[in-house]
Amino acid sequence: MTFAVGVMLLAAVTAIACALPGVFIVLRKNSMLIDAMSHAVLPGIVVGYFFTNNLRSPLLVLAAALAGLLVVLSSEWLTNTGLIAGDAPQGLVFPALFSIGVILISQNFAGVHLDTHAVLAGDLNIAALAQLTIAGVAIGPQYLYLMLGVCALNTIFLAACGHHLALATFDREFASSIGIRVRTLNLTLMFLVSVTVTAAFAVAGAILVIALVVIPAATALLISSRLPMMFAMTTLVAIGGALGGFWSAYWLNAPTSATMSVFYGLIFAAVFFTVRIRRYSRSRRNSHGPNPSRSHHQPRVARI
Amino acid sequence: MNLFEFLNDHTYRLVFLGTMIIGLVAGSLGTFAYLRKQSLMSDVISHAALPGILTAFLLGSMLGLGADNMAYLVVGAIVFGTLAARSAHHIAQKSKIRIDTAMAVALTAFFGVGLLLLRHITNGDYAGKGGIQHYLFGNASTMTQNDIVTSAVIGGISLTLMTLFWKEFAARTFDALHATVMGMPIRLIDALMYLTIVSATVIGVKAVGLVLMVAFVVTPPAAARQWTRTLRGTVALSAGFGAVASGLGAYLSITIGNLPTGPVIVLVLSGIFALSLIFAPRRSMLTVAFMRSRARKKLLRELEAGAA
Repeated sequence: MTFAVGVMLLAAVTAIACALPGVFIVLRKNSMLIDAMSHAVLPGIVVGYFFTNNLRSPLLVLAAALAGLLVVLSSEWLTNTGLIAGDAPQGLVFPALFSIGVILISQNFAGVHLDTHAVLAGDLNIAALAQLTIAGVAIGPQYLYLMLGVCALNTIFLAACGHHLALATFDREFASSIGIRVRTLNLTLMFLVSVTVTAAFAVAGAILVIALVVIPAATALLISSRLPMMFAMTTLVAIGGALGGFWSAYWLNAPTSATMSVFYGLIFAAVFFTVRIRRYSRSRRNSHGPNPSRSHHQPRVARI
Repeated sequence: MNLFEFLNDHTYRLVFLGTMIIGLVAGSLGTFAYLRKQSLMSDVISHAALPGILTAFLLGSMLGLGADNMAYLVVGAIVFGTLAARSAHHIAQKSKIRIDTAMAVALTAFFGVGLLLLRHITNGDYAGKGGIQHYLFGNASTMTQNDIVTSAVIGGISLTLMTLFWKEFAARTFDALHATVMGMPIRLIDALMYLTIVSATVIGVKAVGLVLMVAFVVTPPAAARQWTRTLRGTVALSAGFGAVASGLGAYLSITIGNLPTGPVIVLVLSGIFALSLIFAPRRSMLTVAFMRSRARKKLLRELEAGAA
């Protein structure tokens, strides 16, 4: 496997691993929570490094993922006090955790060497440097296999619990009335997202990972009205964006993760404006006819 | 080092003054973002400031301006910050995407563009490109007298706008419908309010970094709100918290031994917030717990009296 192909596969697998749980994140209005989580894992990574001395250790990923979960739990708790308005709880928690991370790094705690720029932006090429060698044959970046594992974990979870998650997302009361443990399910999802975000940290950094999680699902939401359709579209956008972003970066000699997130943004913008223009021209065509509301003719299915 | 020695040092004095101005302005204008329940918009704004700063830098270097002049960079940041906030609102209004997702999309797309520009500038041959890296994590010790004048002027203009349009801002924040009925130009007020919030956010980016700026906008009003019930009081106290925490944080970061200033200020702010949340009278966790137990006892007494 050549280096470029390895990096490209890593980009695509990371994109899919992040985008799949992103569907529920977007539907549950938790998108900005990813922002909070991805910053909060920083102290988790530093402390995890203190115990493992290895930035690629699964234990470190676990420690950091727990820090991400801490944000979810504490902002939930702050919201439940009823004393804090709006979306502020997340904004109160993650800067503090991120600050602790930055201070620890600046004091050279545990001798961890994290390039501060890479913390925010990640570096796909550096992440792909270490190759996995079996019987003397390099079979691609080690990180590719870590992300494949995460991707498989997410797929299994969504395949097993997707139906319950959908119920809990669209009708929480009904879901809990038929015996689904909504809170456990929610926390499991959040924990998996936290694991995914941590694993993707080295590839995409704290900020671009938000693009990988949120934008494919957001784009898919613009054009789909059923959940299976949305999953399909999300996967399509994730792969298309990752490959398109990767090759644009290759040709432009630009940083890969940043190009990927801009490329994602462009896909979103293109779909957004296409939908707007089509709706506009349709409403103009219909404006002479009877009531343009089509709701009576729609089949009675759950709509997103 | 005591406070007197600290303030006698030229660099330290600049850091102290500069961060206090940032804390004061962000604290007071952050109150409106907080009360409108849009605190995280400041996170979008501060990240979108990066491409704004870098575009301004590129334009400036074409015209032969240096990077040490923060003034025109801040203008770029304000333009892009406003653009990002506008696009997030636009997406949320015109499609079924909710505002949180729209914000995440705008944040990462703008920041991605910023990183591409950053790579272009660091690889290119631009005079004064060294200082440009500071905007990511912030570096208070690189603040110059010019920077402080810029923050003071832009912050001053924003605070003046807030005072001039106090009534309009208050009406818009608490009851948009009422403001419309009174004949206020809602869109204009919104634009003005966002302009002030964006300005308050971007003037701090160089000193504390774009990631942590959100804490300067969210934490002071959240803490101040626990102590007061009036808008005036919240704004004043929030400004005070912002300024005091920034000054104290700057002092601690230097005296404890070369800690990064921004993160220390954020931790001081979080400390103030935690204390306010637990101990503030009338509206805090202790008060609520106390009132609840008293009400419970009273109810129990009444029930017992009824049974007897």
